[in-house]
Amino acid sequence: VAKLCVCDLLVAQCDVNCCCDPDCSADEFSLFTTCSVPVVTGDSRLCSQEAAVYSLDVEANPPERIFQLIDQVNPSIFCIHATNYKEALSFSSPEMPTAENFDQLLKQFGSAAFSAEPASWDMNTDAQNLSDANETYRYEYGVPVQTEDAFLRLPSPVVSSWCSDANPAGFLVNQATKCTRSLSVEKCDDIPAVSMLFYINSSILAVNITVQSIVVQSLNGTRTLLNDSDVLRLPMILDELCINIVLGVSYHITYTDAGEIIEAAAAFVLGAINKEALSIQQSFEVSFTQVNTTPVPLSGNPGYVVGLPIRAGFRPRGYPFPVEINANKHGQLTILRSTSNQDCLAAQGARAPILFGYNMISGCQLRITAATKCQPLTQTLLDLLKGQSFPEYVASFGNSQAQDVLDWVPITHLHTPEQRTYNTFQSSCQIPVSLEIEVKWTKYGSLVNPQARIVNVTATITTTTLKQLPSGRERTIPVTSSVVFTDISSPAEPGYKAWPTINVKLPFDFFFPFV
Amino acid sequence: NSSCQLSSLPLQMLFYANGIYYIFYFSATLAMIVYKSQVFSYPDNFLAPDLIWLFIMALLEVLRLYLGSKGNLTEEEAPLGLSLAITGGSVILSLYFLVWQTYVLKADVIINAILLCTYGLESILKVIAIAAFVS
Repeated sequence: VAKLCVCDLLVAQCDVNCCCDPDCSADEFSLFTTCSVPVVTGDSRLCSQEAAVYSLDVEANPPERIFQLIDQVNPSIFCIHATNYKEALSFSSPEMPTAENFDQLLKQFGSAAFSAEPASWDMNTDAQNLSDANETYRYEYGVPVQTEDAFLRLPSPVVSSWCSDANPAGFLVNQATKCTRSLSVEKCDDIPAVSMLFYINSSILAVNITVQSIVVQSLNGTRTLLNDSDVLRLPMILDELCINIVLGVSYHITYTDAGEIIEAAAAFVLGAINKEALSIQQSFEVSFTQVNTTPVPLSGNPGYVVGLPIRAGFRPRGYPFPVEINANKHGQLTILRSTSNQDCLAAQGARAPILFGYNMISGCQLRITAATKCQPLTQTLLDLLKGQSFPEYVASFGNSQAQDVLDWVPITHLHTPEQRTYNTFQSSCQIPVSLEIEVKWTKYGSLVNPQARIVNVTATITTTTLKQLPSGRERTIPVTSSVVFTDISSPAEPGYKAWPTINVKLPFDFFFPFV
Repeated sequence: NSSCQLSSLPLQMLFYANGIYYIFYFSATLAMIVYKSQVFSYPDNFLAPDLIWLFIMALLEVLRLYLGSKGNLTEEEAPLGLSLAITGGSVILSLYFLVWQTYVLKADVIINAILLCTYGLESILKVIAIAAFVS
């Protein structure tokens, strides 16, 4: 207690008015006015304890400091006489780790939270590990697909276009990436990321990655499918070329509806580089298919996602009741694509798929001479505007199945003539000049996560009269086609709880003697 | 005629006084344990033994006083001897509360010291009474 001094803050210097400071000399004590710390004691609840009392004797000339060591007695009968508990009055200093107590200290303090009973802590973690082990086999959307040592990697460009191997493939996230890797013929068998082994070496938890197919791309770009895809082809140097380097990998992973991965296959594109090449471009893709279903590219789950193509199809004829809608790639809803050559008749067949949410307008110029006949021109223009196979039904949800006929919306066709012809006697030639597809969609489902649902699709063809031209003259008519998406969702209605009613009812035998 | 009555009157008075004093001792010690648990840091693995010993001591005390009183009044040495043996246990428990408790306050020291003195006096009187009954 005599050595403790709370006010001694400056090292090797005298603190002002600090009577217990050992750095002060007698001259400095004479300059003090009071003692900021008069008493230094231990815990005052003890029955008797040592106290160091500092005071200034101001009558003496010069004033001097008086230091006394006394025994302070606590008069209360509830003062602590003795304790048998070592942490009662002060913090205990921690044990120094030695070879004997190291294991026990590690068990007690080695985890995230200090445990008072190390034995019971072990039991809890064992139970947790068991339940975790069952959980890791179930994947959720976006969770990286786990392999034995790390994650299934899909090299992708980060910041620049150079490949980074640290991009994990997320469950149910279909991805396609392209990136550049630097490579030269001399070092082509040193880099692991261009050999097949790197991509099929890791197994996805309990499932081995099988090689589905190998396509070999030659230097001039022609691709041939190899018959035997069981042989592992590693890069090797042959005649100043490096062959069997991986130019593209496409993973196909099959999963069950419980969230487990049961199969994984990879399709490779192998190529060759020559001496002048300094880098190659690799493309990677991963797609997930549910087991026992045919992979149909969904445009949303369930609502349409902006930017994905609208799914459309036909109802097979000859069936009395609609059984299934035939929706394949040929039945896509497409729109005429404008080309640099604006002549309608020359640009046959260039079409663009209609993507949900993207309003599009395209067109071309039609040159009419005197020699153009009406009927063939009408037919050509209809083919041009609508395409070869204009579908009849459009899926209302992005994941509508072909079996659910009620999920498909029929396309309504409208014809509007541009001008009214009063002269009905003269055979007028109506040629279609514009196709406008209006897709009405609504928000469906919860307010927090609304899904887009197509309610109505109307294809309006506007026709105009083709007037006979005098010979030698020609006319240019613009032909346009457009797609418009309109949101017809009704605004949310507030739903209020019903007013509470006062439930007052007389008991049924209230009027007892009379009823 | 005191030769017909062998029961010791001082011993019986002491038993009576002891009973009253013990009730005070038990409530005071319990109250002080509660006070200590609020004011000081008193973890559960130190609090539990103290409380358990206090309740065991209360049980022993009741048994001891009953046996002693019965033995003294019926002039039998067996219950009195048993009571003397239990007194040994009570002395040890009182010593625990005097010296080995987690927190020993000055009040604890005072009441335990009085209790020990009482036990000592009682033991002497019991020995004298047993000697009187046996002979």
